[in-house]
Amino acid sequence: MPKCTINGKEIEVKNGTTIIEAMYENKQSIAHYCYHPGLSVAGVCRLCMVEIEGNPRVQIACNTTIAEGMKINNTSAKVKDAVKWGLDFHLINHPLDCPICDQAGECGLQDQYMEFGKYDPEMAEKKQKKHKVVDLGPTVVLDSERCILCSRCVRFTDEVSKTHELGLFNRGDRTEIGTVEGIQLNNKYSLNVVDICPVGALTSKDFRFRQRVWYLKDSETICTGCSTGCSVKVYFNKEGMFRVKPVYNEQVNGHWMCDEGRGIYKFTNKEARLLKAKKGQGGTWTELAPGAAAKEVAPLLKKAGDSLALVLTAQYTVEEYETILSTFVNTFKTKKIFFWINNKESFDSFDGLLLRGDKNPNTKGLLKTLQKYNVTTSWAELKSGLDSGAIKTLVVAGPENQAVFPDLHERIAEFSKAQNLIWMQAGSNEKLESLTGNVTLIPLKTFVEKNGTFINHQGLEQKIKRVTTIVSEALTLDQAAHLISGEEIPVFVPPTTETLVETNRRPDEVMLEHRKKNEFVFRRGTL
Amino acid sequence: MSVVQNNSEKNKWYLIGILGGMVITMKHLLKNLFNKKKMDTLNYPEEKYEYSNRFKGNHVLTVKKDGSLRCTACMLCATNCPAECIKITAAEHNDPTVEKFPISYEIDILRCIFCGFCEEACPVDAIRMGPEWQTPAVNGSKFIYDINHLAYRPNLKGGILSHVDDEERHKSGI
Amino acid sequence: METKLLTEFYHLDEFVGLEGYKKHGGYVELAKALKMQPQQIIDEVKASGLRGRGGAGFPTGTKWSFLPKNDEPRYLLCNADEGEPGTFKDRLMMERAPHQLIEGMIISAFAIGSKKSYIYVRGEYRYPISVLEKALREAYDAGLLGKNILGSGFDHDMDVYSGAGAYICGEETGMISSLEGLKGQPKLKPPFPAIQGYLRKPTIVNNVETLAAVKYILRDGAQAYRKYGTEKSPGTKLFSLSGNVMKPGNYEVPLAYSLIDLINKEGGGMKPGRKLKAVIPGGSSAPVLTAAEVEKATMDYECLAGIGTMLGSGAVIVIDDSQCMVDMLGVLTHFYHHESCGQCTPCREGTGWLNKIVHSILEGKGRLQDIELLEKVADNMKGKTICALSDAAALPVLSFVSKFRDEFEFYVREGRSKVKGTTYAEMHH
Repeated sequence: MPKCTINGKEIEVKNGTTIIEAMYENKQSIAHYCYHPGLSVAGVCRLCMVEIEGNPRVQIACNTTIAEGMKINNTSAKVKDAVKWGLDFHLINHPLDCPICDQAGECGLQDQYMEFGKYDPEMAEKKQKKHKVVDLGPTVVLDSERCILCSRCVRFTDEVSKTHELGLFNRGDRTEIGTVEGIQLNNKYSLNVVDICPVGALTSKDFRFRQRVWYLKDSETICTGCSTGCSVKVYFNKEGMFRVKPVYNEQVNGHWMCDEGRGIYKFTNKEARLLKAKKGQGGTWTELAPGAAAKEVAPLLKKAGDSLALVLTAQYTVEEYETILSTFVNTFKTKKIFFWINNKESFDSFDGLLLRGDKNPNTKGLLKTLQKYNVTTSWAELKSGLDSGAIKTLVVAGPENQAVFPDLHERIAEFSKAQNLIWMQAGSNEKLESLTGNVTLIPLKTFVEKNGTFINHQGLEQKIKRVTTIVSEALTLDQAAHLISGEEIPVFVPPTTETLVETNRRPDEVMLEHRKKNEFVFRRGTL
Repeated sequence: MSVVQNNSEKNKWYLIGILGGMVITMKHLLKNLFNKKKMDTLNYPEEKYEYSNRFKGNHVLTVKKDGSLRCTACMLCATNCPAECIKITAAEHNDPTVEKFPISYEIDILRCIFCGFCEEACPVDAIRMGPEWQTPAVNGSKFIYDINHLAYRPNLKGGILSHVDDEERHKSGI
Repeated sequence: METKLLTEFYHLDEFVGLEGYKKHGGYVELAKALKMQPQQIIDEVKASGLRGRGGAGFPTGTKWSFLPKNDEPRYLLCNADEGEPGTFKDRLMMERAPHQLIEGMIISAFAIGSKKSYIYVRGEYRYPISVLEKALREAYDAGLLGKNILGSGFDHDMDVYSGAGAYICGEETGMISSLEGLKGQPKLKPPFPAIQGYLRKPTIVNNVETLAAVKYILRDGAQAYRKYGTEKSPGTKLFSLSGNVMKPGNYEVPLAYSLIDLINKEGGGMKPGRKLKAVIPGGSSAPVLTAAEVEKATMDYECLAGIGTMLGSGAVIVIDDSQCMVDMLGVLTHFYHHESCGQCTPCREGTGWLNKIVHSILEGKGRLQDIELLEKVADNMKGKTICALSDAAALPVLSFVSKFRDEFEFYVREGRSKVKGTTYAEMHH
């Protein structure tokens, strides 16, 4: 455990810690581009310069391991000058097209320049021209001129996804990122390169030009794409959800997430949602408020007695399962509760990094709650019950993410054999709306609109918090359970301690003081 | 607000003042009748006042030499707009040198407060405020100006060219 | 006076072949070395004070003793990627005495316990490669390489590897990257190659001349080798003399030889009617010396470091008063811009920037502040990168601008060369 002094502060670090890691841990600000905690050290941006006492030359912090008694500082004039010039070298061939660059607003180059920049550019020569709008693959677009050649993306494909698609071509200031001819950047984790790109060189085709980032708010939640349960950030504004990015979580996903998980925002948006409850009888549909629809079915369910059954998908929170199971077991006195497994064949598969075959966020949570209520049923019982007519009234908590249910249409046809079908789910579905029996469709809220707990494949309980409201009338499964049993929705009084929420600040975010210092002050009349 | 009443003796003889006022009115009436050129008012709407080119009136989107919009859909105007009246939808252009362009650009002119911040924010001289100021319309939807109106309305005669030229800028290596 | 230690038999054509080489004392020291303890050889090399002849001048024996004790396999790499503009000594050595190098390498490999070595030759050296390959075949046939060399039980394999013409592959870690099949880019240090080099195994990289000299240290003993040169810079060295002298070529002289003697005696002096203006003493990366500084310079590591330049690879480029220094700097900056590997930002962008500034001056578009800017940029490139290419690009700029500032200022003001009186277009048709 060597001891060292960083900027006058004495600290003790683990053996083998590099200076930049120690500075991160101690919340010291240091400029850097190529260093990424999840990748190997490249040491090419030459920005994380520090001065070590006794060494005449400034050293890079990312490749220097701390030794006993080292005295390190990165606030001396020498270091500041080196960083200023380092940034200027980065910028001399950068096109500075921030207005049309998608990264503007969350760009490493902008952030670092505000804090460490030189502010008097001396470059008067022509800039180096490179390729613009290079199609790297199905998900990513490259702009070589904006690239600062930190090689993070190359290292990502070499070390994390191990697909080796990207490489550096040419030499000197003609160097460009690219793929070998005939090969595309096409892997299950390709969009991570967009996240780790500190500038706007790599942009996601899905998000490109859709919003300026300063119009977006973000909030942390859990990815519901599969049972891994990666920590993610969703970005949204009043127009809806726009993208999903990973958040560092040592226990679950590290720094990364898969491309598939980045699509989960799509089913939360209004276009894909069921906005009103619908009641169908013989093919004619009437729209009504979700709450009213849920209340309306209450007497029906009460009457149903033994012919009532419930089908659950593993896409809801533990709290919701708790309520709906207690409603069915305690109020309706039935244990005909069935677990709908979507893709049986690939349920236990795992690709070795993050992606799991179980495409539900809360399989463990559902199984746990079922066990608690001592429900032991098999899918065959439901089938035979529906065929023989023993099950007349069927309540279904359908999938939130319908894309991962390949057997959805098949099941809809199967369940529609029941006399009364009460189907609750978030998304709209044409097949459901073309049913001709007695069907009630109740819209539910998605994972971004409710609080709760998911239990991932390793048994880790992860809390999610409400992010925003997209369909305000929709019910949570919890509320729906109360209403269909004839109760009122309990009014939620937030505990006073939770009103102050910790802000989610990026560790390398530029603080307001620095921003203020450099902000262009406009005084009317002086120009 | 308080009202101060002047109850002095002199104030009671208001008739003289009224007569004085009527004399001035009569003088202007006669002057306008016999010397129409010096009249201070205009016969709106038959006659219209011409403002200077620097007047901040209705918006104009400038065009390039080939007639396409200069706007790069950077949304700085929309960000800067205090009235939040600008709505832009960006899209990818087929030409890789253009890259980003507005597929729709709408200004809700009823919300606009004509502050000129959009003009100031624009990095490419794509939006300007012109001397045109009359904006009558018959219903609310007509007050949302789209690209067609902003850049190509008839009185702009095919669009206004900007003095900044992209190609020249690219050639000189900036 | 030329002292022919390594180059004694270079004038003989038969010295190239195995038979001729053996006739003149070849492979005697190999047999002697194989009977010694490896540590004895290392100690002998250490005692001789032999320093790396490639450019940095690091003591060879010390380098060898950095190898970790129990890490196998170890590799010996011979750096024959002679890319430094002005240097051509390794080519001569490989063409005229390939067996001298091979013998030196087998001895060195035995000393450090390496079973595999590579000779990394510059891609443009087609002929030296063919000579080396022929010599290797002869050595294998004669049992001097392969299994159980000369019955000693020591196995060693040697291969020639041709580079693809990148200057940066002359840097030891860049060369290792290239050998590994990667893009020729230097690697981060630490770890140093002696700990983790080729294929992440301990690796020693030495110059052709260094390895060849090992044979002569064993032949004459460390003390005899130390008779040449000075205390800190012992031995002889080949200098590649080029530029505006009467007799350019390779000359072997003891270290600490006077530079002015090298030019006037060995090199035959300046061309008639021309005066010495400047000398680049150690390859294009070394800061330039003015005529006044040349007078007191001796060709050893300490003296040249003392006057702000370096011995480098020993390429002495002589410049007479008919040369335009701005034009010459333009050639150098173009070279470094072309050869920067593009890894570290200061070098990648800086070399391009320097080149653009110098060329805008050459084309008559320069501004007076550009001269200061050149110094600023070069100053901030220095010592900020993984390898020394950035320094190599910055040092000539700094020395050219500071020592010949009047020529630069004249060029900026008049738009033409002070010496030649012509513009850039006229100079280069």
